[in-house]
Amino acid sequence: MIENTVMLLIIVPLLFSLLFVALPKSLYKYLAWAFFIIGVALSVSLVLGGTGVVPVEGPNFAMFENIVLVLEVLVILFILAVSAKYKNWPTLGLGIISAALFAYTYANVPGAESASFNIDQLAQLMILIVNIVGTAIILFATGYMDQYEEHRHLNRQRIFYFTMSFFLAAMNGLVMSDTLGWLYLFWELTTLCSFVLISYNMDEEGINNGFRALALNLVGGVAMSIGIIMLATKYDISSLTGIATYAGTDAVALAALALPVALLCIGGFAKSAQMPFHSWLLGAMVAPTPVSALLHSSTMVNAGVFLVVKLVPAYANTSLGTAIAVYGSFTFVICSALALSQRNAKRVLAYSTIANLGLIIASAGIGTPLAVAASMMLILFHAISKGLLFLCTGEIEHTIGSRDIEDMSGLIKKAPLLTSIAALGMISMLLPPFGVLLTKWVSMEAASNNPVVIVFIVLGSALTTVYYSKWLGTILSSSMDKNAVPHKKLETYFPLSVLALSIIGTSIFIFSIYNYFIGPQVEILLGNVPNITGPVGQFTSEIGAFDYAAVFVVLALAILIYLATKNMFTPRIASYYMCGENNLEKDRLMFRNGLCSYEKSSVSNIYLQNIFGESKLTTFGYAISIILIVIALAGGVGL
Amino acid sequence: MNDILTIILVLIGAPILGCLASGIDRKLTARLQGRVGPPLLQPYYDVRKLFSKDNMVVNPSQNFYVIVYLVFIVLSLLMLVFKQDFLMIIFVYTVASVALVVGGMSTGSPYARVGSSREIMAILSYEPVLILYALAIYLLTGTFKLSALLDKSSPLLIYTPLIFIAMIVVLNIKLKKSPFDYSTSHHGHQELVKGMTTEYGGPGFATIEIAHFYEYVFLTGLIFLFWASTPVIGVLIGIIAYLLVIVIDNITARVYWQWMLKLSWTVLLVMSIVNIAFLYVSGAQLA
Amino acid sequence: MSLAKSPWIIHVNVNSCNGCDIEVVACLTPLYDAERFGVLNIGTPKQADIMVVTGSVNYKNVNVLKNLYNQIPDPKVVLAVGACASTGGIFHDCYNVVGGVDQVIPVDAYVPGCCPRPEAILDGVVAALSILEEKKKGNVKGKEVKLKGNEVPSNA
Repeated sequence: MIENTVMLLIIVPLLFSLLFVALPKSLYKYLAWAFFIIGVALSVSLVLGGTGVVPVEGPNFAMFENIVLVLEVLVILFILAVSAKYKNWPTLGLGIISAALFAYTYANVPGAESASFNIDQLAQLMILIVNIVGTAIILFATGYMDQYEEHRHLNRQRIFYFTMSFFLAAMNGLVMSDTLGWLYLFWELTTLCSFVLISYNMDEEGINNGFRALALNLVGGVAMSIGIIMLATKYDISSLTGIATYAGTDAVALAALALPVALLCIGGFAKSAQMPFHSWLLGAMVAPTPVSALLHSSTMVNAGVFLVVKLVPAYANTSLGTAIAVYGSFTFVICSALALSQRNAKRVLAYSTIANLGLIIASAGIGTPLAVAASMMLILFHAISKGLLFLCTGEIEHTIGSRDIEDMSGLIKKAPLLTSIAALGMISMLLPPFGVLLTKWVSMEAASNNPVVIVFIVLGSALTTVYYSKWLGTILSSSMDKNAVPHKKLETYFPLSVLALSIIGTSIFIFSIYNYFIGPQVEILLGNVPNITGPVGQFTSEIGAFDYAAVFVVLALAILIYLATKNMFTPRIASYYMCGENNLEKDRLMFRNGLCSYEKSSVSNIYLQNIFGESKLTTFGYAISIILIVIALAGGVGL
Repeated sequence: MNDILTIILVLIGAPILGCLASGIDRKLTARLQGRVGPPLLQPYYDVRKLFSKDNMVVNPSQNFYVIVYLVFIVLSLLMLVFKQDFLMIIFVYTVASVALVVGGMSTGSPYARVGSSREIMAILSYEPVLILYALAIYLLTGTFKLSALLDKSSPLLIYTPLIFIAMIVVLNIKLKKSPFDYSTSHHGHQELVKGMTTEYGGPGFATIEIAHFYEYVFLTGLIFLFWASTPVIGVLIGIIAYLLVIVIDNITARVYWQWMLKLSWTVLLVMSIVNIAFLYVSGAQLA
Repeated sequence: MSLAKSPWIIHVNVNSCNGCDIEVVACLTPLYDAERFGVLNIGTPKQADIMVVTGSVNYKNVNVLKNLYNQIPDPKVVLAVGACASTGGIFHDCYNVVGGVDQVIPVDAYVPGCCPRPEAILDGVVAALSILEEKKKGNVKGKEVKLKGNEVPSNA
């Protein structure tokens, strides 16, 4: 039963990608709706089907293995061809290295007899995220891309939808694979999709950024393939569960695995755009917003941290784990600091994504059951909230024509529903009782025994509060004129509402999610369960308790009190204080200046670019992160 | 039953205590300046007057944010009284602070927006110190839950003197008193007109004042935790800290927020980290 | 009773020579100490009860005065301090002077003098307070004063 769902999960998105190419543009809307419904149905049926390993052996295996090899060759050829065409020498060089490694693997590494798909709770969680959030984003795209292409005089939607659906197929395969070789193939396919989608505009900036993404991801891919080769030749391991079993045998085995596992983790870091690989994610923001929402916040970058979490048995409670934790938390604090100085909304979200992924890696690196549980919960909550925020930013850009936070001032008057949903997204990243803060709390409590990590997390958390509340206040301030008409399309608002309701739903039912997915998965990875007890509504561990139900109740109470007392004191609307110089003839928003004419007052937020600006912090970040990676590679010397 | 009585006691008693604390603040300030000063219950008269004024608003929904501010400060105070997880209390308190900041920005007034931007900088300054305080409690008692802290027999202050000094400065920042009162000055009465709260009048401003009363009790409670083993001394330390804050208020001038950010992220943070490092290395535990 | 215990003032200067302003601010100093009556100099009109106006009004300031008056929530009183605020003072016939605050907004109490002593100003505040109380009891709402466009004197 699971086998069928696994096959369907890979084949159905491929089918849809072909349908998107074959059918005319007017039918895309209906295709997207069908895709959403089928995606939800498939992922839910996978979850309900239970966990298990799906082996692929015998003649089936031979056929699929050949397909995999052919696809690998095609991928490498595509990379070589496209980098030669655009004369991008670094990518060409990396492509040649990849080809050499592939040839070496084909020649020297002994082939396995079977492959397998491992459907454990983490895979189920990722499938839910990829298929529900992913198909919702494709639905959003049908309402978004027409206007996007109109502005830029493009007509490439066929390739867009083909690649997005193909990407979903690759992503599904990635999170379900257990065999390292197949994992690597799906990994490279997602890199390829990312390249095609980033350079969607076909202008110079898009192509350059596409190549930067391709190159940096190839660096990660090269590290990964070296790690896979080492594992296969020296230890005869060809699957993720194999790594876990081998690591569990004895301490010597665990120490021996440190280098190849570190190389695999570097592949994960590159895919998740951690420092020093983060520039590709920032460059990827030139892509259309659905691409940013799908690839660069909810799914593809989650693949990197997915791999790092899956490898937890190999480095938990070792010095490599501590090195990874310090590295992740350093990225968290540096990227939160960098996000403070940004005015472009998508760059803020990009830095925030990198920071939260760093937090996930840090929690995974700490290695205690509580910490690993925190990292998995954060994967889920962050994917939903960040996807929602990216979609809202795209819609805001269509409404006011700008991505600058300062131009979003007064959005609540122009597009109330959109602003409320965006505000919900931002509040969910920042404040209790929502999931992201709950997992941040769990991470902090779990990290308390490691002083360097906890100090970084504390600083990063304070910085996060700043840049989100700045943005939140700006969109909720009410000083703007209403000359933009919000486009109210169902394809736009349905995905936004689905994501917003998922945020609230997952935050309320966090205990069920924990019991069903997270607890068992931590047991599989580490062998013992975090001590989460407590009545439903209070998240109690051995060192603390979070009463999230009380906070929900009080929030609802505040809303009720406001609605009840709203008319108790009849409000009288006045204009705001501008020393009496408001222009009373028109809208009272302008003030009379010294020359007796009227002008608008504008106040911008504080960005502190001379302290937290990119030019100041990026070099420092590169230096420290490279040092930390070298330390991790050396097995976490002495940490 | 006991719990409900405690809740009612806190809900009614805390604003009374806060009102008296605010009144003592104004009286003491007046005496330090050689004046007679208002009667002790003056803050109560202020709130009563504000409720009888018109509900003047700029943005029809601006009072929502101050209601959230009030409700969440009450919640964090109740959680403190019921000895919940300290880190959770800090995060719930952050909701209240962010709600007030967003409320200020929601009016759209230029003064309010500048005031709110500065208050965000204040949040950036004090939040690391607060969380490191929670971490110190964890390192000393092995848990974040305050119920464990209040069972111990030796005081927290002996092991965390540097964090105590940092918390006194944080108390200054949170109460918006000189030298850190540039987002809205309650005590000096005018900074950027009234900063964040410029556009709040009538019942909205009364709600802010009542929330301030609860906040005085909450913040003094945070200082009380430093000597929670003997409640009398704890309360005494809390009162002395509050009086110290009033005196500092009167003898210093308002400074730039950049100075506050520098002070907090160099001096206060380094002091707290040194203290934490000492706790971590020595592995001390509270008896 | 409740309003009189906590009168918050907003101090507006329209075309004053600053003499009366200095006396108003002197009320808040330790020697005269208006704060013992609960008087606070609040900068924003939205939290004020008493509008203390000094200066004879000039044409540029008319809209400012009306603007600020409209932004004070009810119940409110206006106190005109000094000879200029009451009638225009010695500048009464100048080309740019409207001549007294009551030409623009309704005034409740006048404090004559050039400039009046702080004790006299405090006296005026107390008188204004009793009017404030009456307004509260009678639920008298201030009318929103309409703007008349850029006022220029007829002989400009």
